[in-house]
Amino acid sequence: MIEALQFDFMQHALLAGILVSFAAGIIGSLIVVNRMVFLAGGIAHTSYGGIGLAVYFGLPIFLGASLFAVGAALLIAALTLKKRHRMDTFIGLIWAVGMAIGVIFVDLTPGYNVDLMSYLFGSILAVSTSDIYFMVALLIVILFIVTLRYRDILAVSYDSEYAGLRGVNVRFFYTLILILSALTVVIAIKVVGLILVIAMLTIPVYIAESLSKSLLSMMFISGTIATLFTLVGLWFSYTYDLTSGASIILVSALSLGLFLLINKKVNS
Amino acid sequence: MNVIEIQDLSFAYEKEPVLEHINLTVEEKDFLAIIGPNGGGKSTLLKLMLGINKAKEGSIKILGKDPKDSLREIGYVPQNTNVNTDFPIKVIEVVLMGHVDGKRPLFGYGKDEIACAMGALEQVGMQEYAQTKIGSLSGGQRQRVMIARALCAHPKILILDEPTSSIDITGQRDIYELLKVLNAHITVIVVSHDISVILEYANKAAHVNKTLSYHDISDKNSTFHTHGNDGHFCEIELLQMLGSESCNSCEEEQPQWRLKP
Repeated sequence: MIEALQFDFMQHALLAGILVSFAAGIIGSLIVVNRMVFLAGGIAHTSYGGIGLAVYFGLPIFLGASLFAVGAALLIAALTLKKRHRMDTFIGLIWAVGMAIGVIFVDLTPGYNVDLMSYLFGSILAVSTSDIYFMVALLIVILFIVTLRYRDILAVSYDSEYAGLRGVNVRFFYTLILILSALTVVIAIKVVGLILVIAMLTIPVYIAESLSKSLLSMMFISGTIATLFTLVGLWFSYTYDLTSGASIILVSALSLGLFLLINKKVNS
Repeated sequence: MNVIEIQDLSFAYEKEPVLEHINLTVEEKDFLAIIGPNGGGKSTLLKLMLGINKAKEGSIKILGKDPKDSLREIGYVPQNTNVNTDFPIKVIEVVLMGHVDGKRPLFGYGKDEIACAMGALEQVGMQEYAQTKIGSLSGGQRQRVMIARALCAHPKILILDEPTSSIDITGQRDIYELLKVLNAHITVIVVSHDISVILEYANKAAHVNKTLSYHDISDKNSTFHTHGNDGHFCEIELLQMLGSESCNSCEEEQPQWRLKP
């Protein structure tokens, strides 16, 4: 593994893995405590529509996917705040329609056959320098917002009705959490792919939840655990020549199983 | 002094009226019990006082102001504080949520805000749990924390929605004893089903079932016919009595409805 680090693509992969893991730990915590996991899954799949459009119009893939995912997040936010009981139906719809749009636009693109698999399961070994810039920028924005507005985000996540009565703009922060989730999902697609992204957003968080007393420590612990899983997964992937995204997720899932087993032993 | 004045208030979610021609005056340091059947409009009345719902007809004034402008004056303890117990949050953080937007530091919480929250926890006897995760507390302890959160902004009125619905009997008494102590300084309004308990602590009662009937019950012995020497009231009798405009119906009530003949 060490000798592999002399390659640019391997350095990029490691850097991207760490950046995305931390973003996923922080935003994954918000997604889990706000019970938005299905919602994040919907946004992840919908963003394939953005990828298809970007390929067709010759735009940067990240830009297309981000705009599309943020659009989906805004749509979901508007629908949720109006018709909460219909949420699951809307998410299912947006989930499938987004993917369909993506597939059709890739079909329509002349002479260019985009590798669908790399978006479904990730392509961490193909991370470019501009991808890294995008990830750094997003992580900085996330850290900035979460630090400065921690108490509002905490209040809205824990008890939104009460937060509203205390003068917190619940709609604004709910939408903000969704937009940050959408952007995090887009960068995580590069590392684990849009099908596997949900596992990356939830497994480390689930472990961190029982180890944390506060949302802040949950975010930090999730980020650290996610980084660890990503690095170990990458090592497996490199050593045994396996798909990186799937390796990361299986390492995470096995670790979760181990953690639950130990937790049960300790408690009994 | 009147802290809440409601005049000829009517409200409907869609067409069916939920509340009709409600008049209610709450004086300073009252302990008001709002009782009535499910779906009778108790929670709706509460939401109108809190400014969550807006009155269609009539007026509602909290300390002379519109409910929306008096968030600071009201401490609110919502129903069902047992949900979301997995949430990783410390007791002190929950209480700090009670602060209304004001001057605040760039990140985290101000020293004065933390001191204030600790003071609120002390008032409810929970200061030693400040750093504990909320999920590991019992139902009664959690309810105390929610009361501390409501007290955090130094409200003049404390409103509680079914504060003892998920607490055991001893815990319920403890909560009401606490409210009695707090009542020395602030007005307390409780929506509750546990009428036999609450009426021992309240000095005013409002029975809400689309319309509202109001009773001064500060002198318990002259208001209620207690049974024997145990001093207990019969619940059905109470509900009927409070639901009607006068107390005369007690005499006409059908005997088979009595719990303790």
